[in-house]
Amino acid sequence: MAQDIRDLADEEVMQLVQRGDARAFELLYDRHGGAAYSLAYRIVGRQGPAEDVVQEALLSIWRSRLRYDQTRGSVRTWVLGIVHNRAIDGLRRMAVHDRRRETLDIADERHETGERTDVEVARREEARGVRGALETLPPEQRRALELAYFGGFTQTQIAEMLDEPVGTVKGRMRLGLEKMRRELVEGMA
Amino acid sequence: MSDHERHREDVGAYLLGALNDIDRRAFERHLRGCDECREEVARLRPAADVLPSSVVQLDPPPGLKARLMAEVEGDSNVTPLGRRRPPMRLVAVAAVLLVGLVVGVGVAQLGGDENRTVVATVDKAMPRAGGSLEIAGGRATLRLHDMPALGGGRVYQTWIQHGDRMVPAMTFEVGAGGRGRVPLPDVSDADGVYVTREPRGGAQVPSEQPIVSVPL
Repeated sequence: MAQDIRDLADEEVMQLVQRGDARAFELLYDRHGGAAYSLAYRIVGRQGPAEDVVQEALLSIWRSRLRYDQTRGSVRTWVLGIVHNRAIDGLRRMAVHDRRRETLDIADERHETGERTDVEVARREEARGVRGALETLPPEQRRALELAYFGGFTQTQIAEMLDEPVGTVKGRMRLGLEKMRRELVEGMA
Repeated sequence: MSDHERHREDVGAYLLGALNDIDRRAFERHLRGCDECREEVARLRPAADVLPSSVVQLDPPPGLKARLMAEVEGDSNVTPLGRRRPPMRLVAVAAVLLVGLVVGVGVAQLGGDENRTVVATVDKAMPRAGGSLEIAGGRATLRLHDMPALGGGRVYQTWIQHGDRMVPAMTFEVGAGGRGRVPLPDVSDADGVYVTREPRGGAQVPSEQPIVSVPL
């Protein structure tokens, strides 16, 4: 059974997960668990809480049989969106100064270990590509995006932290996404 | 600045989750009636959607998969609540758990004011845990033992089922020996008492299948 389902596309795997197929769920983890953990670690900054976030997020998919919505992008985008929400929920319960410190920490690749499968290699290459696009942003736009998305701060909090008007912060977020979009489109062209 | 112009400025913050709840709801209300802003959200969303992929990619700790699959296999060994209870009750609970909506108005009038103790059913993933619901004079106390201490800012939360509704009740943590003693309001007209694990502060809708069940 496990060998058969490994040939299935993510969307088909999700259909089996929604029917309660534990092997399909395991395959979902094998394909996206690494990206989920990496995102959770980037947001909460510590191994234990990052593991808790991934476990809670993926179990919520399993137990509530959350319905995958194709209109919201790929299965990976959808899974990572759930992980992101869980991680930010956890972060918002932490003290602000802790959040800021951890948000500004840059994770390095010291946890990278083991053999690389083709899928793993592709995951890391994709990450480097997207990171490259992010690095083309003016630093103030990049900072606004990162504080919001990975730090879980509201635009008002970011404005206070950076001592800038809220309107300026709003503009940086919008312009930052606009530039990211252009970089990605051009990158694919 | 018009209402539209003001909301249009929020598109980036909305996609990055940087609006507070009030602003987000206002933006989403505006979005429903504004084609231009909907298109702008759809146009910029892919840029926000790739942000998770920009992080340094790590290997998850090996124990994570084992723990996750142990929970999943445990769920598979325990018949889901909806299939184990009497059909009416199961449909009601499943509807609340899966859809998160309050549907129907049926309320089963069971029980009474007699004193009794009902043994709790506990998820098999916690083999040593157990407990009971003591009902006396219209008051009830849920007593549990050998419950795992929860980390990650989570607490246990009790729920009282009335027909199709799961009404949130007290949250609690367990002490020595995994013991918890939870006083509950009058359950004489309730259909069940349940426990789930929720973020600190509690939830309005259960986020998982109950791990402790006391159908009444």
